[in-house]
Amino acid sequence: MSLDEAQAELTRRRETALAMGGAAKLAARAAEGVLNARQRLDVLLDPDSFSETGLLAQGIRPEMRGRSAADGKIAGFGRIGGRPVAVVSNDFTVLGASSSAINGKKIQHVKRIAARSGMPVIYVGESAGARMPDRMGAAGRAMLGQDPTEYLRERTTPWVSAMLGPCYGSSTWYACLSDFVVMRKGAKMSVASGRVTSIAISQAVDAEELGGWKLHTDTTGLVDLAVDTDEEALAAVKRFLGYLPDHAGAAPPRCEVPEGSGADGDAIRAALPESRHQTYDVRRILRLVADAESLFELKGRFGRSLVTALARIDGRSVGLIASNPLFKGGAIDVDACRKATSFLVLCDSFNIPIIFMTDQPGFLIGMAGELRGAPGLIMNWMNALSLVTVPKLQVVMRKSYGQAYLNMGGGRNADATACWPMADLGFVDPVIGVSILHGLKREDDPERFDRLAEELGRDSSAWELAALYEAQDVIEPSETRDWLANMLEVHGRRLSGGVGTHRLAAWPTSF
Amino acid sequence: MREIKVLSEISGSVWKIVAAPGDALDEEQPVMILESMKMEIPVLAPERGVLKTLCVAEGASVAEGEVVAILEA
Repeated sequence: MSLDEAQAELTRRRETALAMGGAAKLAARAAEGVLNARQRLDVLLDPDSFSETGLLAQGIRPEMRGRSAADGKIAGFGRIGGRPVAVVSNDFTVLGASSSAINGKKIQHVKRIAARSGMPVIYVGESAGARMPDRMGAAGRAMLGQDPTEYLRERTTPWVSAMLGPCYGSSTWYACLSDFVVMRKGAKMSVASGRVTSIAISQAVDAEELGGWKLHTDTTGLVDLAVDTDEEALAAVKRFLGYLPDHAGAAPPRCEVPEGSGADGDAIRAALPESRHQTYDVRRILRLVADAESLFELKGRFGRSLVTALARIDGRSVGLIASNPLFKGGAIDVDACRKATSFLVLCDSFNIPIIFMTDQPGFLIGMAGELRGAPGLIMNWMNALSLVTVPKLQVVMRKSYGQAYLNMGGGRNADATACWPMADLGFVDPVIGVSILHGLKREDDPERFDRLAEELGRDSSAWELAALYEAQDVIEPSETRDWLANMLEVHGRRLSGGVGTHRLAAWPTSF
Repeated sequence: MREIKVLSEISGSVWKIVAAPGDALDEEQPVMILESMKMEIPVLAPERGVLKTLCVAEGASVAEGEVVAILEA
Protein backbone atom coordinates (compact mmCIF):
# COMPACT_ATOMS: atom_id res chain seq x y z
CA MET A 1 0.00 0.00 0.00
CA SER A 2 1.39 3.40 -0.98
CA LEU A 3 1.45 6.29 1.43
CA ASP A 4 -1.44 7.91 -0.43
CA GLU A 5 -3.43 4.72 -0.32
CA ALA A 6 -2.73 4.31 3.40
CA GLN A 7 -3.84 7.86 4.06
CA ALA A 8 -6.98 7.37 2.01
CA GLU A 9 -7.69 4.19 3.93
CA LEU A 10 -7.34 6.04 7.24
CA THR A 11 -9.77 8.69 6.01
CA ARG A 12 -12.22 6.02 4.87
CA ARG A 13 -12.02 4.15 8.16
CA ARG A 14 -12.50 7.32 10.18
CA GLU A 15 -15.51 8.29 8.09
CA THR A 16 -17.01 4.82 8.50
CA ALA A 17 -16.55 4.97 12.28
CA LEU A 18 -18.01 8.48 12.52
CA ALA A 19 -21.03 7.32 10.50
CA MET A 20 -21.89 5.23 13.58
CA GLY A 21 -24.73 2.76 12.98
CA GLY A 22 -25.67 4.30 9.64
CA ALA A 23 -27.78 7.13 8.28
CA ALA A 24 -31.12 5.34 8.60
CA LYS A 25 -30.74 4.62 12.32
CA LEU A 26 -29.46 8.11 13.03
CA ALA A 27 -32.37 9.66 11.11
CA ALA A 28 -34.88 7.57 13.06
CA ARG A 29 -33.45 8.87 16.33
CA ALA A 30 -33.45 12.45 15.09
CA ALA A 31 -37.12 12.03 14.12
CA GLU A 32 -37.86 10.98 17.70
CA GLY A 33 -36.06 14.06 19.01
CA VAL A 34 -33.42 11.95 20.75
CA LEU A 35 -29.74 12.92 20.47
CA ASN A 36 -27.22 10.37 19.24
CA ALA A 37 -24.09 9.41 21.17
CA ARG A 38 -21.82 11.94 19.44
CA GLN A 39 -24.35 14.77 19.65
CA ARG A 40 -24.58 14.10 23.38
CA LEU A 41 -20.84 14.63 23.68
CA ASP A 42 -21.19 17.90 21.75
CA VAL A 43 -23.78 19.07 24.29
CA LEU A 44 -21.82 17.82 27.28
CA LEU A 45 -18.28 18.94 26.54
CA ASP A 46 -16.64 22.29 25.87
CA PRO A 47 -16.42 22.97 22.10
CA ASP A 48 -13.57 21.13 20.36
CA SER A 49 -12.34 19.66 23.64
CA PHE A 50 -13.07 15.98 22.91
CA SER A 51 -10.10 13.74 22.22
CA GLU A 52 -11.31 10.27 21.34
CA THR A 53 -9.64 7.01 22.22
CA GLY A 54 -10.55 3.93 20.21
CA LEU A 55 -12.38 5.42 17.24
CA LEU A 56 -11.13 2.52 15.13
CA ALA A 57 -11.87 -0.21 17.66
CA GLN A 58 -14.10 -2.98 16.28
CA GLY A 59 -16.04 -5.98 17.55
CA ILE A 60 -13.85 -9.02 18.16
CA ARG A 61 -15.75 -11.43 15.88
CA PRO A 62 -14.50 -11.37 12.28
CA GLU A 63 -17.99 -10.87 10.85
CA MET A 64 -18.37 -7.69 12.94
CA ARG A 65 -15.42 -5.93 11.31
CA GLY A 66 -16.61 -2.90 9.39
CA ARG A 67 -20.04 -2.87 11.03
CA SER A 68 -19.17 -2.18 14.66
CA ALA A 69 -18.07 1.47 14.65
CA ALA A 70 -15.98 2.24 17.75
CA ASP A 71 -17.43 -1.07 18.94
CA GLY A 72 -20.53 0.76 20.12
CA LYS A 73 -19.02 2.72 22.98
CA ILE A 74 -17.44 6.09 22.19
CA ALA A 75 -14.71 6.85 24.71
CA GLY A 76 -12.32 9.68 25.37
CA PHE A 77 -11.42 12.78 27.30
CA GLY A 78 -12.64 16.35 27.19
CA ARG A 79 -13.40 19.41 29.24
CA ILE A 80 -16.44 20.87 30.99
CA GLY A 81 -16.10 24.52 31.94
CA GLY A 82 -12.37 24.14 31.35
CA ARG A 83 -12.05 21.21 33.77
CA PRO A 84 -10.94 17.76 32.54
CA VAL A 85 -13.33 14.80 32.34
CA ALA A 86 -13.32 11.28 30.95
CA VAL A 87 -16.39 10.00 29.09
CA VAL A 88 -17.98 6.88 27.70
CA SER A 89 -20.95 7.58 25.44
CA ASN A 90 -22.93 4.50 24.48
CA ASP A 91 -23.85 4.40 20.78
CA PHE A 92 -27.10 2.46 20.64
CA THR A 93 -27.08 2.52 16.82
CA VAL A 94 -24.08 0.17 16.82
CA LEU A 95 -25.21 -3.28 17.97
CA GLY A 96 -27.25 -1.63 20.72
CA ALA A 97 -24.00 -0.51 22.42
CA SER A 98 -23.90 -4.05 23.77
CA SER A 99 -21.04 -4.99 26.07
CA SER A 100 -18.19 -6.79 24.35
CA ALA A 101 -14.58 -7.74 24.93
CA ILE A 102 -13.21 -4.77 22.99
CA ASN A 103 -15.48 -1.99 24.24
CA GLY A 104 -14.90 -3.38 27.74
CA LYS A 105 -11.21 -2.65 27.20
CA LYS A 106 -12.08 0.90 26.20
CA ILE A 107 -14.08 1.50 29.39
CA GLN A 108 -11.27 -0.01 31.45
CA HIS A 109 -8.73 2.31 29.81
CA VAL A 110 -10.80 5.45 30.38
CA LYS A 111 -11.46 4.58 34.02
CA ARG A 112 -7.80 3.81 34.69
CA ILE A 113 -6.55 7.04 33.13
CA ALA A 114 -9.24 9.08 34.89
CA ALA A 115 -8.24 7.63 38.27
CA ARG A 116 -4.53 8.12 37.60
CA SER A 117 -4.84 11.63 36.18
CA GLY A 118 -7.54 12.77 38.59
CA MET A 119 -10.65 13.53 36.58
CA PRO A 120 -14.32 12.55 36.83
CA VAL A 121 -15.79 9.78 34.65
CA ILE A 122 -19.11 10.38 32.92
CA TYR A 123 -21.11 7.44 31.59
CA VAL A 124 -23.69 8.43 29.00
CA GLY A 125 -25.89 5.36 29.20
CA GLU A 126 -28.00 3.63 26.59
CA SER A 127 -27.11 -0.03 26.12
CA ALA A 128 -28.74 -3.36 25.39
CA GLY A 129 -26.67 -5.48 27.78
CA ALA A 130 -24.28 -8.32 27.03
CA ARG A 131 -23.54 -8.83 23.34
CA MET A 132 -24.77 -12.15 22.10
CA PRO A 133 -23.41 -14.43 20.79
CA ASP A 134 -20.03 -13.05 21.98
CA ARG A 135 -20.91 -13.74 25.57
CA MET A 136 -22.30 -17.24 25.02
CA GLY A 137 -20.49 -20.43 25.88
CA ALA A 138 -17.33 -20.93 27.91
CA ALA A 139 -15.31 -18.69 25.60
CA GLY A 140 -17.86 -15.91 26.16
CA ARG A 141 -17.69 -16.48 29.90
CA ALA A 142 -13.91 -16.25 29.74
CA MET A 143 -14.09 -12.96 27.85
CA LEU A 144 -16.54 -11.53 30.40
CA GLY A 145 -14.06 -11.79 33.23
CA GLN A 146 -10.95 -10.09 31.90
CA ASP A 147 -10.91 -7.30 34.49
CA PRO A 148 -11.40 -8.33 38.12
CA THR A 149 -11.64 -4.65 39.11
CA GLU A 150 -14.31 -3.86 36.52
CA TYR A 151 -16.88 -3.04 39.17
CA LEU A 152 -14.55 -1.84 41.91
CA ARG A 153 -15.52 1.58 43.25
CA GLU A 154 -12.95 3.43 45.35
CA ARG A 155 -14.19 6.98 44.75
CA THR A 156 -10.81 8.28 43.62
CA THR A 157 -12.65 10.61 41.26
CA PRO A 158 -16.36 11.38 40.86
CA TRP A 159 -18.44 9.09 38.62
CA VAL A 160 -21.64 10.33 37.04
CA SER A 161 -24.23 8.54 34.91
CA ALA A 162 -26.87 9.87 32.55
CA MET A 163 -29.48 7.27 31.62
CA LEU A 164 -30.78 8.33 28.23
CA GLY A 165 -32.52 5.31 26.75
CA PRO A 166 -32.89 1.63 27.40
CA CYS A 167 -30.12 0.85 29.90
CA TYR A 168 -29.39 -2.77 30.59
CA GLY A 169 -26.14 -4.40 31.60
CA SER A 170 -23.15 -2.05 31.56
CA SER A 171 -25.06 1.26 31.69
CA THR A 172 -27.07 0.05 34.67
CA TRP A 173 -24.07 -1.35 36.51
CA TYR A 174 -22.07 1.87 36.13
CA ALA A 175 -25.07 3.95 37.17
CA CYS A 176 -25.34 1.93 40.36
CA LEU A 177 -21.66 2.61 41.06
CA SER A 178 -21.97 6.35 40.32
CA ASP A 179 -22.16 9.32 42.67
CA PHE A 180 -24.94 10.93 40.68
CA VAL A 181 -27.51 9.43 38.30
CA VAL A 182 -29.85 11.44 36.13
CA MET A 183 -32.50 9.76 33.99
CA ARG A 184 -34.44 11.06 31.02
CA LYS A 185 -38.10 10.17 31.46
CA GLY A 186 -38.76 7.27 29.10
CA ALA A 187 -35.34 5.73 29.70
CA LYS A 188 -35.22 2.35 31.43
CA MET A 189 -32.81 0.86 33.89
CA SER A 190 -33.05 -2.74 35.02
CA VAL A 191 -31.03 -5.92 35.29
CA ALA A 192 -32.51 -7.21 32.04
CA SER A 193 -34.90 -5.68 29.49
CA GLY A 194 -38.65 -6.11 29.70
CA ARG A 195 -38.48 -8.49 26.74
CA VAL A 196 -35.73 -10.68 28.21
CA THR A 197 -37.43 -10.64 31.62
CA SER A 198 -40.80 -11.61 30.12
CA ILE A 199 -39.25 -14.57 28.30
CA ALA A 200 -37.22 -15.66 31.33
CA ILE A 201 -40.03 -15.65 33.85
CA SER A 202 -42.91 -16.40 31.42
CA GLN A 203 -44.85 -13.36 32.56
CA ALA A 204 -45.88 -10.19 30.83
CA VAL A 205 -43.69 -7.39 32.16
CA ASP A 206 -44.17 -3.68 31.57
CA ALA A 207 -40.76 -2.13 30.85
CA GLU A 208 -41.71 1.19 32.46
CA GLU A 209 -42.83 -0.54 35.67
CA LEU A 210 -39.71 -2.71 35.59
CA GLY A 211 -37.25 0.13 35.27
CA GLY A 212 -38.83 3.52 34.59
CA TRP A 213 -38.05 6.84 36.22
CA LYS A 214 -40.84 6.66 38.80
CA LEU A 215 -39.61 3.33 40.13
CA HIS A 216 -36.07 4.62 40.48
CA THR A 217 -36.76 8.10 41.80
CA ASP A 218 -39.61 7.16 44.18
CA THR A 219 -38.98 3.59 45.29
CA THR A 220 -35.43 2.32 44.70
CA GLY A 221 -33.60 5.65 45.09
CA LEU A 222 -31.07 4.49 42.49
CA VAL A 223 -31.74 7.60 40.38
CA ASP A 224 -31.14 11.07 41.82
CA LEU A 225 -33.08 13.12 39.32
CA ALA A 226 -35.48 12.60 36.39
CA VAL A 227 -35.75 15.15 33.59
CA ASP A 228 -37.61 15.45 30.29
CA THR A 229 -34.84 15.75 27.70
CA ASP A 230 -31.29 14.64 26.92
CA GLU A 231 -30.17 18.26 27.09
CA GLU A 232 -31.58 18.71 30.60
CA ALA A 233 -29.92 15.49 31.72
CA LEU A 234 -26.51 16.57 30.43
CA ALA A 235 -26.96 20.02 32.00
CA ALA A 236 -27.64 18.25 35.32
CA VAL A 237 -24.40 16.27 34.95
CA LYS A 238 -22.46 19.50 34.47
CA ARG A 239 -24.22 21.16 37.36
CA PHE A 240 -23.50 18.26 39.73
CA LEU A 241 -19.81 18.20 38.81
CA GLY A 242 -19.64 21.95 39.44
CA TYR A 243 -19.94 21.33 43.21
CA LEU A 244 -17.23 18.66 43.26
CA PRO A 245 -13.45 18.70 42.94
CA ASP A 246 -11.84 16.89 39.99
CA HIS A 247 -10.67 14.17 42.36
CA ALA A 248 -10.68 13.16 46.01
CA GLY A 249 -7.29 14.75 46.62
CA ALA A 250 -8.53 18.31 46.11
CA ALA A 251 -11.00 20.63 47.78
CA PRO A 252 -14.08 21.62 45.76
CA PRO A 253 -13.74 24.80 43.69
CA ARG A 254 -14.81 28.00 45.45
CA CYS A 255 -17.17 30.13 43.38
CA GLU A 256 -18.16 33.77 43.19
CA VAL A 257 -21.06 34.56 45.51
CA PRO A 258 -24.03 35.54 43.33
CA GLU A 259 -25.56 38.94 43.94
CA GLY A 260 -28.55 38.86 46.25
CA SER A 261 -27.34 35.82 48.23
CA GLY A 262 -28.57 35.98 51.81
CA ALA A 263 -30.56 39.14 51.16
CA ASP A 264 -33.80 37.64 52.50
CA GLY A 265 -32.63 36.20 55.81
CA ASP A 266 -35.64 37.67 57.57
CA ALA A 267 -37.91 35.64 55.29
CA ILE A 268 -36.78 32.45 57.08
CA ARG A 269 -38.85 33.45 60.08
CA ALA A 270 -41.86 34.01 57.82
CA ALA A 271 -41.48 30.56 56.26
CA LEU A 272 -41.99 28.93 59.65
CA PRO A 273 -45.51 28.24 60.94
CA GLU A 274 -46.43 29.80 64.28
CA SER A 275 -47.48 26.49 65.84
CA ARG A 276 -44.94 23.75 66.46
CA HIS A 277 -47.65 21.27 65.48
CA GLN A 278 -47.75 22.57 61.91
CA THR A 279 -45.46 21.62 59.07
CA TYR A 280 -43.59 23.55 56.39
CA ASP A 281 -41.41 22.86 53.37
CA VAL A 282 -37.79 23.15 54.49
CA ARG A 283 -36.61 23.69 50.90
CA ARG A 284 -37.90 27.26 51.13
CA ILE A 285 -35.62 27.83 54.09
CA LEU A 286 -32.62 26.15 52.46
CA ARG A 287 -32.96 28.45 49.43
CA LEU A 288 -32.81 31.46 51.74
CA VAL A 289 -29.75 30.16 53.58
CA ALA A 290 -27.73 29.06 50.53
CA ASP A 291 -26.13 31.24 47.87
CA ALA A 292 -28.71 32.42 45.32
CA GLU A 293 -29.79 29.66 42.89
CA SER A 294 -27.26 27.22 44.34
CA LEU A 295 -29.58 24.63 45.90
CA PHE A 296 -29.39 21.34 43.95
CA GLU A 297 -31.54 18.63 45.51
CA LEU A 298 -30.61 14.96 45.07
CA LYS A 299 -33.14 12.12 45.39
CA GLY A 300 -35.94 14.67 45.84
CA ARG A 301 -38.72 12.08 45.45
CA PHE A 302 -37.14 9.42 47.69
CA GLY A 303 -37.10 9.36 51.50
CA ARG A 304 -38.63 12.83 51.42
CA SER A 305 -38.74 13.48 55.16
CA LEU A 306 -35.07 14.38 54.68
CA VAL A 307 -33.76 16.68 51.98
CA THR A 308 -30.25 15.99 50.70
CA ALA A 309 -28.90 18.78 48.54
CA LEU A 310 -25.66 20.22 47.30
CA ALA A 311 -25.46 23.98 47.62
CA ARG A 312 -22.99 26.79 48.19
CA ILE A 313 -22.60 29.08 51.14
CA ASP A 314 -20.30 32.03 50.66
CA GLY A 315 -19.10 30.38 47.45
CA ARG A 316 -18.13 27.12 49.19
CA SER A 317 -19.68 23.76 48.26
CA VAL A 318 -21.70 22.23 51.09
CA GLY A 319 -23.87 19.15 51.51
CA LEU A 320 -27.17 19.85 53.27
CA ILE A 321 -29.08 17.14 55.15
CA ALA A 322 -32.29 18.79 56.28
CA SER A 323 -35.45 17.50 57.95
CA ASN A 324 -38.51 18.23 55.87
CA PRO A 325 -41.57 18.29 58.13
CA LEU A 326 -43.80 18.58 55.03
CA PHE A 327 -43.37 14.82 54.59
CA LYS A 328 -44.19 12.46 57.46
CA GLY A 329 -43.75 15.39 59.83
CA GLY A 330 -40.01 15.03 59.36
CA ALA A 331 -39.99 11.53 60.92
CA ILE A 332 -37.07 9.66 59.39
CA ASP A 333 -38.02 6.46 57.56
CA VAL A 334 -35.92 3.67 56.11
CA ASP A 335 -35.56 5.32 52.70
CA ALA A 336 -34.44 8.57 54.34
CA CYS A 337 -31.82 6.60 56.33
CA ARG A 338 -30.37 5.11 53.17
CA LYS A 339 -30.42 8.48 51.46
CA ALA A 340 -28.66 10.25 54.33
CA THR A 341 -25.95 7.60 54.56
CA SER A 342 -25.18 7.60 50.85
CA PHE A 343 -25.05 11.41 50.92
CA LEU A 344 -22.55 11.33 53.80
CA VAL A 345 -20.40 9.02 51.69
CA LEU A 346 -20.58 11.37 48.70
CA CYS A 347 -19.70 14.47 50.70
CA ASP A 348 -16.91 12.87 52.72
CA SER A 349 -15.35 11.26 49.66
CA PHE A 350 -15.10 14.58 47.84
CA ASN A 351 -14.26 16.95 50.68
CA ILE A 352 -17.63 18.67 50.89
CA PRO A 353 -18.54 19.97 54.39
CA ILE A 354 -21.84 18.62 55.73
CA ILE A 355 -24.57 20.74 57.29
CA PHE A 356 -27.48 19.24 59.22
CA MET A 357 -30.66 21.32 59.51
CA THR A 358 -32.79 19.54 62.05
CA ASP A 359 -36.51 19.48 62.81
CA GLN A 360 -37.46 15.86 63.35
CA PRO A 361 -39.68 13.98 65.82
CA GLY A 362 -37.50 10.85 65.67
CA PHE A 363 -37.25 7.82 63.46
CA LEU A 364 -40.55 6.68 62.03
CA ILE A 365 -41.45 3.68 64.13
CA GLY A 366 -43.84 0.94 63.07
CA MET A 367 -44.01 -2.36 61.24
CA ALA A 368 -43.10 -0.98 57.81
CA GLY A 369 -39.68 0.12 58.99
CA GLU A 370 -38.95 -2.90 61.17
CA LEU A 371 -39.74 -5.24 58.27
CA ARG A 372 -37.05 -3.49 56.27
CA GLY A 373 -34.41 -3.61 58.97
CA ALA A 374 -34.65 -0.03 60.25
CA PRO A 375 -32.31 -0.55 63.24
CA GLY A 376 -29.52 -1.76 60.96
CA LEU A 377 -29.88 1.25 58.69
CA ILE A 378 -29.91 3.66 61.64
CA MET A 379 -26.62 2.21 62.87
CA ASN A 380 -25.21 2.11 59.34
CA TRP A 381 -25.77 5.87 59.27
CA MET A 382 -24.14 6.36 62.68
CA ASN A 383 -21.16 4.27 61.63
CA ALA A 384 -20.75 6.32 58.46
CA LEU A 385 -21.15 9.57 60.40
CA SER A 386 -18.47 8.52 62.85
CA LEU A 387 -16.05 7.90 59.96
CA VAL A 388 -16.65 11.29 58.30
CA THR A 389 -13.64 13.61 58.39
CA VAL A 390 -15.00 16.67 56.55
CA PRO A 391 -16.40 19.54 58.67
CA LYS A 392 -19.86 18.80 60.10
CA LEU A 393 -22.16 21.57 61.29
CA GLN A 394 -25.63 21.41 62.78
CA VAL A 395 -28.49 23.87 63.11
CA VAL A 396 -31.39 22.70 65.27
CA MET A 397 -34.33 24.57 63.79
CA ARG A 398 -37.19 23.22 65.89
CA LYS A 399 -37.30 19.78 67.43
CA SER A 400 -34.68 17.06 67.55
CA TYR A 401 -35.83 13.97 69.39
CA GLY A 402 -34.67 10.49 70.15
CA GLN A 403 -31.74 8.55 68.73
CA ALA A 404 -32.11 10.61 65.56
CA TYR A 405 -30.71 13.57 67.54
CA LEU A 406 -27.33 11.86 67.26
CA ASN A 407 -27.77 10.84 63.62
CA MET A 408 -28.49 14.47 62.75
CA GLY A 409 -25.25 15.70 64.29
CA GLY A 410 -26.18 16.03 67.97
CA GLY A 411 -24.07 14.78 70.85
CA ARG A 412 -20.78 16.09 69.46
CA ASN A 413 -21.37 14.38 66.12
CA ALA A 414 -21.00 17.85 64.60
CA ASP A 415 -18.01 20.19 64.97
CA ALA A 416 -20.37 22.98 65.96
CA THR A 417 -24.06 23.19 66.81
CA ALA A 418 -26.34 26.21 66.88
CA CYS A 419 -29.97 26.19 67.95
CA TRP A 420 -32.73 28.50 66.89
CA PRO A 421 -34.44 29.96 69.99
CA MET A 422 -37.51 27.73 69.62
CA ALA A 423 -35.43 24.53 69.42
CA ASP A 424 -36.79 21.65 71.47
CA LEU A 425 -34.49 18.84 72.53
CA GLY A 426 -35.81 15.76 74.20
CA PHE A 427 -36.32 12.07 73.80
CA VAL A 428 -39.95 12.22 72.63
CA ASP A 429 -42.62 14.90 72.41
CA PRO A 430 -43.50 15.66 76.08
CA VAL A 431 -47.17 14.94 75.43
CA ILE A 432 -46.32 11.45 74.20
CA GLY A 433 -43.75 11.12 77.00
CA VAL A 434 -46.42 11.56 79.70
CA SER A 435 -48.41 8.64 78.33
CA ILE A 436 -45.31 6.43 78.10
CA LEU A 437 -43.87 7.38 81.50
CA HIS A 438 -47.05 7.71 83.57
CA GLY A 439 -49.54 5.62 81.59
CA LEU A 440 -51.84 8.65 81.61
CA LYS A 441 -54.13 9.89 78.84
CA ARG A 442 -55.09 13.56 78.75
CA GLU A 443 -58.83 12.81 78.93
CA ASP A 444 -58.29 10.90 82.20
CA ASP A 445 -56.98 13.92 84.13
CA PRO A 446 -56.29 16.98 81.96
CA GLU A 447 -54.86 19.08 84.79
CA ARG A 448 -52.34 16.47 85.93
CA PHE A 449 -51.53 15.54 82.35
CA ASP A 450 -50.70 19.15 81.38
CA ARG A 451 -48.60 19.62 84.54
CA LEU A 452 -46.59 16.45 83.86
CA ALA A 453 -46.14 17.41 80.19
CA GLU A 454 -44.84 20.82 81.23
CA GLU A 455 -42.41 19.22 83.68
CA LEU A 456 -41.14 16.81 81.03
CA GLY A 457 -40.69 19.62 78.53
CA ARG A 458 -39.07 22.06 80.94
CA ASP A 459 -35.43 21.15 80.40
CA SER A 460 -35.61 20.64 76.67
CA SER A 461 -34.98 24.20 75.51
CA ALA A 462 -32.20 25.67 73.39
CA TRP A 463 -31.08 27.58 76.49
CA GLU A 464 -30.46 24.34 78.37
CA LEU A 465 -28.44 22.86 75.51
CA ALA A 466 -26.39 26.06 75.27
CA ALA A 467 -25.88 26.14 79.05
CA LEU A 468 -24.48 22.60 78.86
CA TYR A 469 -22.25 23.76 75.95
CA GLU A 470 -23.73 21.04 73.75
CA ALA A 471 -24.92 23.89 71.54
CA GLN A 472 -22.16 26.41 70.95
CA ASP A 473 -24.63 29.17 70.18
CA VAL A 474 -28.28 30.10 69.96
CA ILE A 475 -28.98 32.16 66.87
CA GLU A 476 -31.86 33.94 65.17
CA PRO A 477 -33.05 32.12 62.04
CA SER A 478 -31.95 35.18 60.04
CA GLU A 479 -28.38 34.73 61.36
CA THR A 480 -28.11 31.15 60.06
CA ARG A 481 -26.29 31.89 56.82
CA ASP A 482 -23.69 34.09 58.49
CA TRP A 483 -23.16 31.57 61.30
CA LEU A 484 -22.65 28.75 58.80
CA ALA A 485 -20.27 30.83 56.64
CA ASN A 486 -18.26 31.68 59.74
CA MET A 487 -18.15 28.08 60.96
CA LEU A 488 -17.11 26.82 57.51
CA GLU A 489 -14.17 29.20 57.79
CA VAL A 490 -13.35 28.17 61.37
CA HIS A 491 -13.61 24.42 60.76
CA GLY A 492 -12.01 24.32 57.29
CA ARG A 493 -9.36 21.59 57.24
CA ARG A 494 -6.48 23.91 56.36
CA LEU A 495 -3.65 21.58 57.41
CA SER A 496 -4.66 19.19 54.63
CA GLY A 497 -5.80 21.81 52.14
CA GLY A 498 -9.45 20.97 52.81
CA VAL A 499 -8.95 17.27 52.02
CA GLY A 500 -10.29 14.57 54.34
CA THR A 501 -9.01 11.03 54.90
CA HIS A 502 -11.87 9.30 53.02
CA ARG A 503 -12.53 6.39 55.29
CA LEU A 504 -15.86 5.92 53.50
CA ALA A 505 -14.28 5.67 50.06
CA ALA A 506 -15.00 1.96 49.69
CA TRP A 507 -18.45 2.10 51.33
CA PRO A 508 -21.04 0.14 49.33
CA THR A 509 -22.71 2.13 46.58
CA SER A 510 -26.06 0.53 47.32
CA PHE A 511 -27.28 -1.03 50.56
CA MET B 1 -58.44 9.29 31.95
CA ARG B 2 -55.81 7.81 34.24
CA GLU B 3 -56.46 7.20 37.93
CA ILE B 4 -53.86 8.28 40.46
CA LYS B 5 -54.06 6.86 43.95
CA VAL B 6 -53.28 9.20 46.81
CA LEU B 7 -51.67 7.20 49.61
CA SER B 8 -51.15 8.14 53.22
CA GLU B 9 -47.44 8.08 53.99
CA ILE B 10 -48.04 7.54 57.68
CA SER B 11 -50.56 6.14 60.16
CA GLY B 12 -52.77 8.70 61.86
CA SER B 13 -56.28 10.10 61.95
CA VAL B 14 -57.89 12.41 59.41
CA TRP B 15 -58.07 15.82 61.05
CA LYS B 16 -59.26 17.99 58.20
CA ILE B 17 -60.09 17.46 54.54
CA VAL B 18 -58.97 20.50 52.58
CA ALA B 19 -59.91 19.60 48.98
CA ALA B 20 -63.26 18.66 47.45
CA PRO B 21 -64.13 16.35 44.56
CA GLY B 22 -63.74 18.28 41.32
CA ASP B 23 -60.85 20.40 42.61
CA ALA B 24 -57.83 20.65 40.31
CA LEU B 25 -54.71 19.97 42.38
CA ASP B 26 -51.07 20.60 41.64
CA GLU B 27 -48.33 18.16 42.56
CA GLU B 28 -47.62 18.45 46.30
CA GLN B 29 -50.88 20.34 46.98
CA PRO B 30 -52.61 19.06 50.15
CA VAL B 31 -55.71 16.88 49.89
CA MET B 32 -56.20 16.43 53.63
CA ILE B 33 -54.36 16.89 56.90
CA LEU B 34 -53.69 14.00 59.24
CA GLU B 35 -53.01 14.17 62.94
CA SER B 36 -50.06 11.96 63.76
CA MET B 37 -47.17 12.17 66.22
CA LYS B 38 -48.86 15.27 67.71
CA MET B 39 -48.43 17.05 64.39
CA GLU B 40 -50.65 18.18 61.56
CA ILE B 41 -49.21 16.35 58.58
CA PRO B 42 -50.58 16.98 55.08
CA VAL B 43 -51.34 14.25 52.54
CA LEU B 44 -50.16 15.70 49.23
CA ALA B 45 -51.22 15.03 45.66
CA PRO B 46 -48.48 12.81 44.15
CA GLU B 47 -48.92 14.54 40.81
CA ARG B 48 -51.19 17.09 39.13
CA GLY B 49 -54.80 15.91 38.74
CA VAL B 50 -58.46 16.47 39.51
CA LEU B 51 -59.79 15.06 42.78
CA LYS B 52 -62.30 12.35 41.88
CA THR B 53 -63.00 10.48 45.10
CA LEU B 54 -62.32 10.93 48.79
CA CYS B 55 -61.98 7.47 50.35
CA VAL B 56 -61.99 8.54 54.00
CA ALA B 57 -63.93 10.97 56.18
CA GLU B 58 -62.73 13.37 58.86
CA GLY B 59 -62.03 11.50 62.08
CA ALA B 60 -61.18 8.22 60.35
CA SER B 61 -58.03 6.30 61.20
CA VAL B 62 -55.74 5.61 58.28
CA ALA B 63 -52.81 3.24 57.98
CA GLU B 64 -49.49 3.83 56.26
CA GLY B 65 -49.92 3.13 52.55
CA GLU B 66 -53.73 3.32 52.64
CA VAL B 67 -55.50 4.87 49.65
CA VAL B 68 -57.20 8.01 50.99
CA ALA B 69 -58.26 9.65 47.72
CA ILE B 70 -58.22 9.14 43.97
CA LEU B 71 -57.26 11.74 41.39
CA GLU B 72 -57.80 11.72 37.66
CA ALA B 73 -55.23 12.99 35.18
